[in-house]
Formats: sequence, C-alpha cells, structure tokens
Amino acid sequence: MTAATNYHWFISSLPHMPRSFDVEHVPISGIRLQERLRMLGDDDKNTVEQVQRFLLWDRQQPERTDEDVQMEYDRLMSSVSNPLVRDIITYRMDVRTITSALRRRRLGFGPPTAVGQYVDHIRKHWNHSDFRLQREHPWISGVREALDANKPLSVERQLLNATWDRWVKLSDGFCFSFETILLYLARWEIVDRWTRLDESAGRKKFEQLLAQTMASGGGIK
Amino acid sequence: MESFILLLGWAGVFLPTAFGAIGSIIGCGRAGQAASGALLDVESGYGRLVGSSALPSSQTIYGIVVTMQFNRAVSLDSAPGLFSIGLLVGLALLFSAIVQGSCCAAAINTTKSKPEVFGLAIAPAAIVEGFAVFAFIFALIVGGSIPGGTAG
Repeated sequence: MTAATNYHWFISSLPHMPRSFDVEHVPISGIRLQERLRMLGDDDKNTVEQVQRFLLWDRQQPERTDEDVQMEYDRLMSSVSNPLVRDIITYRMDVRTITSALRRRRLGFGPPTAVGQYVDHIRKHWNHSDFRLQREHPWISGVREALDANKPLSVERQLLNATWDRWVKLSDGFCFSFETILLYLARWEIVDRWTRLDESAGRKKFEQLLAQTMASGGGIK
Repeated sequence: MESFILLLGWAGVFLPTAFGAIGSIIGCGRAGQAASGALLDVESGYGRLVGSSALPSSQTIYGIVVTMQFNRAVSLDSAPGLFSIGLLVGLALLFSAIVQGSCCAAAINTTKSKPEVFGLAIAPAAIVEGFAVFAFIFALIVGGSIPGGTAG
C-alpha cells in the first residue's frame, strides 16, 4: 500500500457520501479521513495534499487581494498536473470570479481583475444580468437575487450547491479510481464547510467584508 | 511448422484454464479488496460481503472443464480447432471474470450502506456470469466436433 494504492479497498472503506451536503454531520470525521489518506501511495498522497491545500485556501479570507489570488492561481496551475485537480481548481476559481463580479457590480464597482477563463467574458458582458453565463452556470441568477436580498446564507448555500452538483456529476464518470477519492474529498470538504456554518457568524463576516470593501474601494474577491 | 501447429494445439487445450484462472485472480482480487475495505465501515453482514467476492472463481472451474474436454492426443487435424476454440473461450472467461469482479466490488460498496438491496446489487454480476456460461457451454458443444475427441 505504499508504492501503489489499492483503490478498491480504499473506496469501499469510506462511508457513503450523503445525497446532499445539507446534513448535520460529516460522513467520516476529519481525523479518521486523514488516517485513511495516509494509506495512499506516495504519488497519490502528494496530489491529495495539493487538493486539500487548495480547498482549505478556497475558504474565503477577506484579507486576500486579487493579486494574492492571481499568484496562488498561477502557482497552482504550474505545479498541478492531474487533469481532475486542475478541473477542480478551475471550476472553483470561476465560481469565485463570477461571484466577485456580481458583488462588485452590486456595489457599483467595475469588473474584477480576477483569474480564470471568464475574466474577459465578464468584462465584455458586464451590463448583462448574468454576464451571458447562465447556460454554463445556472446558479448565477439565484445568487444575484440572494445578494440583492442581502441573504448571505442563501448565497453560500447556492454556491455550495452548484459546486456539489458539479462534483457529483464528475463522480459519475469514475468508479474505484483515484479520481473517485479526489471527488470524495472535494464533496467531504463541502459537507464539512456547511456543517460548520453558523448563520449569525456568516452574516457578521459578510457585513465585515462589505465594510472593508466600501472602505478600500475594491479588492474584494 | 508442424511442431508449431502442435504447440498451438496444446496451448489451446490449456488456454481455457489459464485464462479463466487469470481472470478469476484479478476478479476475486478486486472484489476481495472491496470486501476487506467495506469491513471497516460495517457492523454486520461480513460473510455476505466476503462471500460475494468469490463469485469470479467460477470461470476457473469452467476453464478446467473445457480443458478436460479438450484433453486428447493433439494432432495436425485437431490442433487448429483446439487452439481457436480454446483461445476464444479462454478470452471470454478472462474478461468475464475481471468484469464480474468489478461488478461484485460495486455491489459490495453499495450493500455496506443499504444491505436490503444486496440481491439487486449483485444482479449485474449474475448477468455477467450468464455470458460466461454461454461461452462455456458452446465451447463444449463446438469442441465435441474437433477430431481426436470422444465425439470426434
């Protein structure tokens, strides 16, 4: 189990992921999950660490600037070779970029200097309600409405729901492979994030973020 | 050239057993690993999980029966038939055992959290087994007309 991973064993040893992330507990505790992950082969372990580092980083931190995000994105894309991991990173970055654009437009700012494939597209369709991305990202209108209604929890739920659906869809293409493990981790992270969410703390954080942005006149991610 | 044809004939006699055994090794290995992993996540039903991982072993038995049927003094007349039928039925047994192992692994993974669907979950493995049986039966039927056998 050190050189190569026994995926049949590994995947069968993991509890099933719930159908939705809206549950009370994660299916397996973080400690137990880490114990299991230590049984992966060396190469797989490195890739898993890259994914985990990114998912941890992906949790919003208001002190980051667009330049920080750009640097992290460039660093990740130059160091990650696994196609699925690159897909995970790209999708999350796209979601960040679109969300950032929605927030900035709502606050009366210009398009974000964010990263990913949609930067130019958003700039081009800045005045369109969903940046002409509704087909690729059907969650945009719902998130925009939730932002307008000042419902941060609904925004978070819809963003996580869109990401969850994306990971579930990707999972359908894999069975007893390393990709299955990566997508399990990605979904576990969503469940973990959701179960830790506290509505009042989320509102406080959102207001703090809003205040910072208003004060600095930009830099929101 | 004659020696080579005879060599193929002898290979054809043993190929069903060899390929069947290779398939069973891979299939049982995959399903068995899945069963071992599932043992960490369930509190009961261990026997059913481990038992279902043994399903792909039947291909070896079919291979042995075909080899016994084919076992005869190999001649220039019988060698081509033995080789072609032995190779094809061997391949059928090989792939069916591997795929059945994957089906069993999936069934084990499903059953650990929904034990009540075990019967349905294992059905794809049974269907794959059916195709292995078809290949086995028809190898025996067609093999009966190869010269040098009891029916030939």
